Amino acid sequence: MSAVAAPARTPGELTPAPLNRPRRRWTRFILPMYTIAMIVYLASPIFVMILYSFNDVPLDRQNAHFWGFTTDWWKNILGIPGLGDAFKNSLRIAPISAAIATALGALFGLALGRYRFRGLRLVDFVIFLAIAVPEIVLGSSLLSMFVLAGVPLGLTTIILSHIGFSIAFVAVTVRARVQGLDRNLEDAAQDLFASPIAAFFKVTLPLIAPALLAGFLLAFVLSLDDFVITNFVAGPKTTFPLWVYGAQKIGFPPTVNVMGTILFTAGVMAAAVSVLAQRRRSSL
Amino acid sequence: MRRKLVPYYLLSPGGLFLLVFFLIPLGIMVYTSLESGGLLSGGFRFSWAFENYTNVLGQYRVQFVRSLVYSIIVTVVALLLAYPMTYWIAFYGGKWKTSLLLLILVPFFVSFVIRTIQWKFILGDFGPILGPLKNIGLLPDSFRILATPFAVVAGITYNFLPFTALPLYVALERIDERLIEAAKDLYASRWEAFRRVVWPLSLPGVFAAFLLTFVPATGDYVNASLLGGPGTTMIGNIIQVKFLTELDYPEAAALSVILMVVMLLLATVYARILGTEDVQRAAGATA
Amino acid sequence: MSDHPKADEQAAVQRALEYRLTRRSLLKGAGAGIAGFSLASLLAACGSDDGGTSGGEATASQNVFGGQPGDTLNFANWPAYMDQAKDKDGNVYHPTLRTFEQQTGIKVNYTDVINDNAEFFGKIQPLLAGGDDPGYDLIVISAGRYFTTLANNGWVYELDPTKRPNFDANAASWAKDPFYDPGNKYGMAWQSGITGIGYNTKLVNGSITKMDDLANPAKVGTNSVGMITEDMPNLVMINLGIDPTTSGPDEWKEAAAWLQMQKESGTVRAYYGNDYLPDLQEGNLKASMAWSGDVLYSKVWLLLDMEYVFPEGGALLFIDNMMVPAGAQNPAGAAEIMDFYYEPQNAKKLTEWILYMSPVPKTKKLIMEDAEKNFDQGYKGYARKLEATANSPFLYPDEEFLSRTSWGFADWTDETAEEWDSIFLPISQG
Repeated sequence: MSAVAAPARTPGELTPAPLNRPRRRWTRFILPMYTIAMIVYLASPIFVMILYSFNDVPLDRQNAHFWGFTTDWWKNILGIPGLGDAFKNSLRIAPISAAIATALGALFGLALGRYRFRGLRLVDFVIFLAIAVPEIVLGSSLLSMFVLAGVPLGLTTIILSHIGFSIAFVAVTVRARVQGLDRNLEDAAQDLFASPIAAFFKVTLPLIAPALLAGFLLAFVLSLDDFVITNFVAGPKTTFPLWVYGAQKIGFPPTVNVMGTILFTAGVMAAAVSVLAQRRRSSL
Repeated sequence: MRRKLVPYYLLSPGGLFLLVFFLIPLGIMVYTSLESGGLLSGGFRFSWAFENYTNVLGQYRVQFVRSLVYSIIVTVVALLLAYPMTYWIAFYGGKWKTSLLLLILVPFFVSFVIRTIQWKFILGDFGPILGPLKNIGLLPDSFRILATPFAVVAGITYNFLPFTALPLYVALERIDERLIEAAKDLYASRWEAFRRVVWPLSLPGVFAAFLLTFVPATGDYVNASLLGGPGTTMIGNIIQVKFLTELDYPEAAALSVILMVVMLLLATVYARILGTEDVQRAAGATA
Repeated sequence: MSDHPKADEQAAVQRALEYRLTRRSLLKGAGAGIAGFSLASLLAACGSDDGGTSGGEATASQNVFGGQPGDTLNFANWPAYMDQAKDKDGNVYHPTLRTFEQQTGIKVNYTDVINDNAEFFGKIQPLLAGGDDPGYDLIVISAGRYFTTLANNGWVYELDPTKRPNFDANAASWAKDPFYDPGNKYGMAWQSGITGIGYNTKLVNGSITKMDDLANPAKVGTNSVGMITEDMPNLVMINLGIDPTTSGPDEWKEAAAWLQMQKESGTVRAYYGNDYLPDLQEGNLKASMAWSGDVLYSKVWLLLDMEYVFPEGGALLFIDNMMVPAGAQNPAGAAEIMDFYYEPQNAKKLTEWILYMSPVPKTKKLIMEDAEKNFDQGYKGYARKLEATANSPFLYPDEEFLSRTSWGFADWTDETAEEWDSIFLPISQG
């Protein structure tokens, strides 16, 4: 899941000249060791999460105490009333909001990255705001608006809110990719094809496809994981993060860890796929 | 002629959505902040209630300042933690660059509520770290990490590290390594090469990282709620309690507006000086 | 929804006087605030009544609760407030709910989403004020600010007294006709309980017997005490010798001073909602304000070294009430399940598990019988627990015990609420 724009290399250069490696041995290891230590540190709660998914708690709420190993929780993933519904809600909301956000955001990013137009700076700023605004501000203002307009809170309001904050992220992802593209390709396509729309579908779209995928995944994860904004606009409905936050007040069941592990594994696989896909692609 | 309108066509669907679900709600919040009344007696009425602003500013000055202070500490620490790591990956990662970056990001696929609770397990007063240390007498029994400002700041730093690391990485990765080579050819030591070449070139990334971390961190409340204690309440907690528990929508909205305006000022200053492109490029690299 | 005849002028005015709002009035009303209203806008709204936007009413309860109950029932409750077991597939389920489903054919969607009266109220209030279906047929709200608000604004249905034979036959005297809900017009008690002190016996110096112990570092150390934000003002007032039901701002300031003193003594670790329990169980808290059922549950079922204490100065009594929100889809079903839990066998199963004060006194004898049965069958440990449950003053208090408890302040209006909040909130939010 990466749309990191490759640094521009001047034409004619093939590989960079080899770097001067430092002479002293021990200092060579500081940085890599540090990086690995950081990676472990960042992942440590994940290890704990996976471990506790096997926690043999006598009832169904767990705290810090580890009682022993059992695979029971893995066998009955939907066994906790309410949690299954919350998980399903999350899995229903995420793809819908991600898909719509990707479609809207892609067009946005295309416009931002390719064209110069009046109001560009203003739009730039709005996008920047949408990324940086504190979630609590956005969540509470969406709640105010829905209540004022008499819109009943529920899955629909959640989806709409998620799309709202995801569009900007997709837009900048696509924008970054679009800015790195060679304009000549599109112009050539236009010379060969009749209409700009055909050129768009046959040339532009495939070129920005990695960014679309990356944007979709990003919007998906943002939606799946969102707590603050969802907490404000969900009304009587629950999503997975909401359920977990409520449950942790008296202790959440190991099933939550199981679901977390599943999501984590899915994320790892998606990342792995994306890396492989990137490797396969030659620089375009 | 039609070609000129293309960008506007492209912008309109997304733009309309953002207008309705981003800009208008912010406007409504300003409106709500000027209301008065109470939910128990039947509702709120718009009344140009500017006293809401003076009330909350007077009452919650401490929490505002505290949030800003925590946020600055978080951002500085995050920068210090992330810089060496991204530096190494960007320059020495080779073909493993992307994979390493993903390794850093992959834990954040899991809901942060779960991750923070796991930290609560790990850092418990008698948990797997403090328990043994207390048993062998290295720490007094009353020592604790949870429910302290340290825990809150550590929690926020942990949760926002990707927002710091990615802009740094993007900026560092674009630096042409041959510049460092050239510096060394001119008899610069490794440290000098860093100080005079890499660091200045990475500054846009540092600023982007700073903004992308500082702004959201100031409004965070979940970490303070899960890991904090008395005396760690942040402005985000106040806003959340006012909205969802006290149901005092006008004052809560006033607090939100103030928070937003402060952050907006910061963002504008930044945008004026450096342009928003680096931030957007960095945000785009989060994918 | 209700199938009452289309509103005529009389009913419209009556509705207006009960502060009900339709969505029209929300948008039309002067200064469209969250639930902004003025009498003029209400009457204007009623004048343009179109019959379709109205939600439930607080009058004509017979019409709402009559008829066949629907197929599903959405029941929102607090966590750990329903009996639990694992079936043979390892799925967690609620035995009494399953019994109800088998008896009536109504499927119950049970969610324990209520963690805080105010927060839950905040979530459903916009829907109720707009006349929409709040998504629940049955909710459980503590007697207090929000119960009163829901009742006064007509946001819950008035209950049908003909639909609760079990209640009439079996309810305790404190559950019938309580002072905050005369005639049980709006709610029926779910469970009651005490707010007192729970502590880890192995972690404190000596034992805890009074509120002052929670401010004494010699007994509890520093940063090891939990306080419940919503209840602490009342509990402190009781233990200072003040009667909260008649208290005013002067008394509140006294209580706030004590709380400030406690904060400065360094004993307080955090101010909680209902989430003190994991910290208390894990030993992060040595002692805490606590609800009786939570601590008894940990002590009896989880075998933790905890003790529950009725503070010397007095304790707080709370009652959580079942209410039917206006706009609910299945009020008839709600009425059925409300009465179901007043049948002694069902009430017994509930209480045996959650260990709170049952509004059905007959359960005490039933639990004793259960204890004897288990003893005869050889389950001596389990039998002893049941026996302790039946004899616990926290579940079956006598008059003397009850006389030392108090309800807490109950005269809630926007003004009193604001004053109260301005005095007490800074302590937990500092």
